[in-house]
Amino acid sequence: MGVLTPLFFVALAGLAIPVLIHLIQREKKQIMRFPSLMFVQRVPYKSIQRRRIHNWLLLLVRMAAIALIVAAFARPFFNSGAIDTPTGTGAREVVVVLDQSYSITYGDGWERARAAAYDTINGLGPDDHGSIVLFASGAEIALRSAASGERQRLTAAVAAAKPTAGATRYAPALKVAGSILAESTLPRREVVLISDFQRGGWRGEEGTRLPAGTTVTPIAIGGGDDLANVAVTGISLVRSTFSGQDRVAVTAVVVNRSMRSLNGGQLGLEMDGRPVQSQPITVEANSSTSITFEPVTVAGNFLRGTVRAGSDALAADNEFHFVVTPAQAVRVVVIDRTGGGPSVLYLTRALAIGDAPRFETTLRQPGAVTDDDLARASVIVVNDVEVTAALARRLQGFVERGGGLFVAFGPRATWASDAGDGGVLPATAQAPVDRSRGDAARIGTLEYTHPVFEPFRAPRSGDFAAARIYGYRTVMPADGAQVLARFDGGAPALLERRVGEGRILLWASTLDLGWNDFALKPVYLPFVHRTMRHLAGYSEPAPWLTVGQVLDASFGVTAGQPATGTVLTPSGRRVSLDDEGAEVLELGEQGFYEMRGRVADSVTGVVASNVDTAESDLTPIDPKEIVAAATGGPDAAREANASAAPLTPEAQEQSQRLWWYLLCLGIVLLGADTLISNRLSKT
Amino acid sequence: MSGQTPGAIPGARFMDPVVLARIGNLELVSRAVCDGFINGLHKAPYFGASVDFAEHRGYVPGDDIRRMDWRVWARTDRYYIKEYEAETNMNFSVLLDVSKSMDFGSRGITKFDYARILTACLTNLVHHQRDRVGFVAFDSEVVAHVPPSAKHMDTVLHTLDRLKPGRPGGRMRGPLHKLAEHFGRRGVLVVISDFYEDPEEIVDAVTPLRFRGNDLIVFHVMDPAELEFGFTDAQAFEDLESGEQMPVVPDAMRKEYVSLVKAHTDALQQKFSEVRVDYTLLDTSKPLDHALHRYLSSREKKLRVR
Repeated sequence: MGVLTPLFFVALAGLAIPVLIHLIQREKKQIMRFPSLMFVQRVPYKSIQRRRIHNWLLLLVRMAAIALIVAAFARPFFNSGAIDTPTGTGAREVVVVLDQSYSITYGDGWERARAAAYDTINGLGPDDHGSIVLFASGAEIALRSAASGERQRLTAAVAAAKPTAGATRYAPALKVAGSILAESTLPRREVVLISDFQRGGWRGEEGTRLPAGTTVTPIAIGGGDDLANVAVTGISLVRSTFSGQDRVAVTAVVVNRSMRSLNGGQLGLEMDGRPVQSQPITVEANSSTSITFEPVTVAGNFLRGTVRAGSDALAADNEFHFVVTPAQAVRVVVIDRTGGGPSVLYLTRALAIGDAPRFETTLRQPGAVTDDDLARASVIVVNDVEVTAALARRLQGFVERGGGLFVAFGPRATWASDAGDGGVLPATAQAPVDRSRGDAARIGTLEYTHPVFEPFRAPRSGDFAAARIYGYRTVMPADGAQVLARFDGGAPALLERRVGEGRILLWASTLDLGWNDFALKPVYLPFVHRTMRHLAGYSEPAPWLTVGQVLDASFGVTAGQPATGTVLTPSGRRVSLDDEGAEVLELGEQGFYEMRGRVADSVTGVVASNVDTAESDLTPIDPKEIVAAATGGPDAAREANASAAPLTPEAQEQSQRLWWYLLCLGIVLLGADTLISNRLSKT
Repeated sequence: MSGQTPGAIPGARFMDPVVLARIGNLELVSRAVCDGFINGLHKAPYFGASVDFAEHRGYVPGDDIRRMDWRVWARTDRYYIKEYEAETNMNFSVLLDVSKSMDFGSRGITKFDYARILTACLTNLVHHQRDRVGFVAFDSEVVAHVPPSAKHMDTVLHTLDRLKPGRPGGRMRGPLHKLAEHFGRRGVLVVISDFYEDPEEIVDAVTPLRFRGNDLIVFHVMDPAELEFGFTDAQAFEDLESGEQMPVVPDAMRKEYVSLVKAHTDALQQKFSEVRVDYTLLDTSKPLDHALHRYLSSREKKLRVR
């Protein structure tokens, strides 16, 4: 039974009207003037008796009349039995969906969640089937559709489950539960969702619709708000150099998500498992603070750091792991005609600035470039020099092995190749163009999607057009070259070409003030830095990853190390990664993952894995929201009803005819009220 | 002695107060009542007290020789003076409460009209006995004052006729204490009121009137509705004096109310008797003879003055 317009029930407040009339109507009678109320006032006050209901029959008749009329306007109707079938009688297919995200460990939540699962299992009927689905950020079926007689297996599956370091995601779990239910042949389907119902775990996912007729029973495992819950939600690392050694200052963000303030706590910093510093923390309720530790020297590779904030009701988010390694400098060899004259002044000055990364610059004359230089360098800059065929071959080999080459084609530059053309260069250089008379050339168009120019994409993020180009070389782009920048006349200014494992950038002008004033413009420094980073393939290794992210074999491994081997998880489990790199490892634990080479079992990389700190926000969601999305809510019921048995207009009207009887009865009662009140007024 | 049925004796004896109230002319009313009342007593109101012999006493120089009993001298050869019962012309004053609460009546006559007729009757009676009559009307202050005099009968009636209860009563202590200083000569004082105050305060207010030898008679005038509280409908009651209103369920509180009023009148009765003041509770539905009897018995005691 339902109602079409439930808002009309607000009018039930009108039931107070007859009560008030019965209580106050006699006060409107004539006032009795009496000599003195001296004795009347001394009588214990009896006005409450005065307000008693004198005529219960009349009152009840009036209230019933109003209630019936209101109910009639609310348009009650009878549901047809079609949608009740799934929840009627018969064996059930029950899927227990148990939350094992780390937030369920808040207080004694995990024990209560398991107790709820046991209760559900014990409540299975003799013909029912039960399944256990464990979920955090992903979902797994612990036991599929076991008969009620196998209750011990169901109980054992729950007992074997442990909370993980993952975050809560409801959608995968509901999809898995839906797949189990879809395969079931039992008439009744039910999902028991046991969780702490965090708002962060639900993003209104589509496609989590369970099969029609499924009943979802949410069991909320709420923790007490009075328990302390402090989380280290993130850190930032500021590098510096002191006495030639890398140092890093750790700043941790501590969030207090409980309703009471934290006073007198300690925030500790551990490096390689040893406590090195400790700072007092004071955080007000529902607020955060940041605490900076003194800089720590980064002695070697893969220094493992942990920031720890005591222990509380939710311990997993109290520690934050990270890995730092000494900053790797980008080695740049600049081949210059003079080996260090004014022509490379601006370039070397620009490379001398910067910490992330740091550039180690080596100046060489064309004839002095050694194989050792080529072996150690990440980037080679050929600054307007004549490149002999021998040097060109060596540089080509350097690039093909993964190195980066920057060629500045000024007035003196030549590139001798065996084929007589530009060889591996992105373009073949031709005659210079003199724009010293009249308007100087400008850099017109840039390829902002390229990593070199990507930082300049936003407006007012660098004006390349400010540089005046008085001379440049016309170039003929080679096959496979990409023009990254053009002069205002349309001639290519910067071109890129991938050769082997490396890249070559060709700049069709000079890097000094010979042909342009580009070196005097503000964009020169970031341009040089971006170019060198790009050519060196430099990327800052992430100090930490989050549980749920995927780890491939190359992650965190320093250059030159074998990229395959095994991974040692924080719990001590060894996982082999395929040589081909096809197999990946999903981070499922909190702590440090060690990557080891196959040969010598040496540590080739370390990855810090942290829990998703959004999970420590325990703000709950109304379980009805998830239930409505999973079952389709009232709309789905209506659709199911419609699809099951489309009602004829007569049948529809028949099911809603109740209002008519209610209204008639209400009117009859109003008539009776008139008769009764008339009779009473005469007596 | 039912007040509701006029007696068979000719005249206006035991006339219904409601009927009296309709006559309007106080002089006529008082005369009718008093004549009927006195006729009913079979006793002339003007027997000369001076003819009543009291005793003999020896002559002392200065005595009027006209009062000497020559017959005794003839028999005993001694001079004796013949003494008689003294005839005194008393001062008689009625102190009438004209506060607003007196303007209430549930049976056709208000307490004020009843008290007015009573005052007129008493004044008429006293006037016929050649006493001096006076009148004071008061509420929270003295409203009207007619000094006692043998010639003030008409003035008293005229003043009574003009009076209307209009102001709240307040405490009686103020006006009555002021009047107590005023009545210097011994006499009879009659206080008529509905006495809506605490008994202690009423006695405290009234008692000083006795201090100079005055004989004090107190008539407590109450309407039957005040005594029995015979209301049936629950309604708001408004205090005539203060204007205060309160919802009242008479059925629920009648018992307590009647017992409180009874306790009040009993307390007044007891406290007035302690200070030797005649207290009479008058029901406005009853005839006036009870009050007149009370006065005459008091008057009889006063005649024994030497």
